[in-house]
Amino acid sequence: MVIIRRVKPLPYWIIPIIALLAGIAISVIILYVLMGASPAAVLSAIVYGFTRPGVVAKTFVALTIVGIALLVSFKGSIWNIGGEGQITFGLMAATWVALFTALPYINPGLAQASMILLAMVAGGVWALLAALPRAYLGLDEVPVTLIMNYIAYYIVDILVRGPWLGKHVYNYIRTDTIPSQVMFPQVPGTTMTWDGLLLLIILLIGVWYLLKNTSIGLRIKILGNNPNLLRSSGISVPLMIIVALTISGIIAGSVGALYLGGDVYRISYPIEVHTANYGYTGILVAWLSMLELIAVPIAAYIVSALYTAGIQYQILVGGHLGQLITAGSAIVDVFIGSILLMYTILITISEYKIRIIVKKR
Amino acid sequence: MAAEANNAKPTFLSPPQEGEKPIVSLRGITKRFPGVIALDHIDLDIYPGTVHALLGENGAGKSTLVKVLYGIYTPDEGEIIINGRPTRLTSPADAINTGIVMVSQSPQIIDTLTVAENIILGLEKYNHLVPVTKVYKIIREESKRVGIKIEPSIEVWRLSYTQKQLVEILRAILLGAKVLLLDEAITYLPIEEKQRFYKFIRQFADEGGTVVLITHKIYEAMDVADKITVLRRGKVAGHLDRKEATIEKIRALMFGERSAEITYERLPTAQPEPKTVLEVKDLWVMGDFGGYAVQGVSLEVKKGEVLGIAGVAGNGQKELIQAIMRLRPIIKGRIIYNGEDITRKTTYYLRINGVGYIPDLPAKYGVSIENSIIENIAVLPVYSRGIINWDKVKELALKLIKEYEIKTPSPDTPVKFLSGGNIMKVLVARELTVATNLLVAYNPTRALDEATAIKVRKVIKEKVLKNKVSAIIASEDLDEIFQISDRIAVMNSGKIVGVFPADKAKREEIEHLMVM
Repeated sequence: MVIIRRVKPLPYWIIPIIALLAGIAISVIILYVLMGASPAAVLSAIVYGFTRPGVVAKTFVALTIVGIALLVSFKGSIWNIGGEGQITFGLMAATWVALFTALPYINPGLAQASMILLAMVAGGVWALLAALPRAYLGLDEVPVTLIMNYIAYYIVDILVRGPWLGKHVYNYIRTDTIPSQVMFPQVPGTTMTWDGLLLLIILLIGVWYLLKNTSIGLRIKILGNNPNLLRSSGISVPLMIIVALTISGIIAGSVGALYLGGDVYRISYPIEVHTANYGYTGILVAWLSMLELIAVPIAAYIVSALYTAGIQYQILVGGHLGQLITAGSAIVDVFIGSILLMYTILITISEYKIRIIVKKR
Repeated sequence: MAAEANNAKPTFLSPPQEGEKPIVSLRGITKRFPGVIALDHIDLDIYPGTVHALLGENGAGKSTLVKVLYGIYTPDEGEIIINGRPTRLTSPADAINTGIVMVSQSPQIIDTLTVAENIILGLEKYNHLVPVTKVYKIIREESKRVGIKIEPSIEVWRLSYTQKQLVEILRAILLGAKVLLLDEAITYLPIEEKQRFYKFIRQFADEGGTVVLITHKIYEAMDVADKITVLRRGKVAGHLDRKEATIEKIRALMFGERSAEITYERLPTAQPEPKTVLEVKDLWVMGDFGGYAVQGVSLEVKKGEVLGIAGVAGNGQKELIQAIMRLRPIIKGRIIYNGEDITRKTTYYLRINGVGYIPDLPAKYGVSIENSIIENIAVLPVYSRGIINWDKVKELALKLIKEYEIKTPSPDTPVKFLSGGNIMKVLVARELTVATNLLVAYNPTRALDEATAIKVRKVIKEKVLKNKVSAIIASEDLDEIFQISDRIAVMNSGKIVGVFPADKAKREEIEHLMVM
């Protein structure tokens, strides 16, 4: 038996699927060994998660959009870890429109559109601030975008504790609830909003077109593969870095508006505790998609189904085991961690193949 | 003359001498890639103490064969016999364990580390607890013994290409190499450095070492090899002894009927128009390591002529070409293109105004190997402003593939699946298409075999003659300079030391000026 390096790569969709199955299997074992959780209950929670599209929808929409956002920058080998900060900035901008302008009372439709658009602008600006030092000083974008997530959190925290503190919130530290005119209408029978669904479709088609048919899309892809070619073709590499990261931030920012208008309706202090962490979970979605746009919704559905499964498990057995009351999100982490680990291992292994050679005498 | 090798029963034109056993033997090595047979039943014997050259045109299968020998590829069929024992090489580590070490054309060393650190990385016998001074001592002694001068404490990014190759060789020797695979490792070295390398290769073989020299340059093989094996289209075209080898014989084996096209006659001289297309005035440009690489160069190129820039590598040609392309800052001086001062303009401006550019090291600077041929064409701003018209680009790609005989399954194939020569053809074809006014090139045919190189020169010259395009071509290959140029400028130590009309220029005089 020998192990040799593959000449032809495996079809790209095989690894995520095996990683998913192996990751779930490992999660079941971990949960059983550590918590005595019945595998049947865990599996039934997973089945629940995967078979309830209506319940999963809200998370699915958010994660797909974040996945698309990160894909744009990852294609250019620009590692945007700052989705979370860009979403937080989007959330801030949307809150401003909803609470501190008269627009919701004048024209609710326009107000909702403005919330989303301004959130995108805010996300874009936040990403641009990380892109500039990356482009012109060569500062690594990974720590910069990561640190900026926390700066974004704290800026919002300052606002919520100070000028934005609600007038009708008793002793809670949070903003007022946004007017009902700008609460995004829900798609009947699901947890998602019409605004979110529409935005998702527009972004999917838009980014598909961007990557396939525009010079910006092609240049982002070449930026990821060989920036020297851009240089000798006369295309500014710093500019393309800025474009890739800013587009990524613009798309991610919109999720902040969806989170406000379709989910929480207000910002609670401290935001770093109340965030849905879509910016980080989105990284998993982007990787599971193997940076193929059509695979992003699939990866997002899988991750959001597991997310739902974790919460469902808590509901199923929560009363039975006392410590499980806060275990819902921990179970989600076990799932996601196991899958990501399997994925990383399999990606390396997949470059090799095992060949059994029978020695001829 | 040797006939095409018979697959079933290999013929060995140079049988081993009495009592000598090959150190490496290949029997029936076959390697298939999707759609192509890269190696088709290769038989080869390599003897200790010899320099064995593997020659072949671009895409003949040389690189694949070396990768099989180095354990990077595993053959689909056939056997590798090392020291009489059938051996399965499944990784470079396996190959190194049997004493086979490869040095490739692109140095595999880490720029931010020192020479000593780079060398020690791959050496298990010197673990990390060995004091640095001892490592330095080992390196100094060993490098002195093999006649290589290198300072172990220097960081690698400060080294020239030649010195990096030397570091690689030194590491190979410290790894205990018995068989050195040199994969185009000396092709890109300047001439006088080559001479030093030949001496070293000779010495290594005389001490009982074995060198496998992979090259597409016939003279390299003729200069230093004892035995020559020619590959053609994945098969062994013939084995030759150095004594019986002549350029004509080798060419016939390498190119078949195409060898008749090989000629170093000067291409027709252009009749330039009086209009000046490019004018460089008192140009000063910095080099990579501080200091002025270009020192007050002035020159001009008329409409419809080829200006060749002759010179030994490292005399400022690269920096001059990059400054003209606006890829390197200009400290002082001016560049005028078509009557317009472009000193403060960008590369983009040149690229959308009819300037083609063929950089050195095409895979690094000229194409993106992960992208398809079509995408590599579409990236140029003339083809992609806003929305890309893929139908149009595809049409162009298909036309270029046909015109330049680029061997590829389709225009959507990622460039990395093409052979080195075909990658170069993609680049040349693309750049000649956008060069409606001026072509700027640096060693445009170095990666190409003779027949293809001559063809590329002909295509360039044809374009100059027919479409009145101008060209400025810097090359370290004097044959190329003489064949294609209408005027020859000699560059030495950052200055232009002489300009000659090519039809009256004397080769000795130019060679003398190059090294003076």
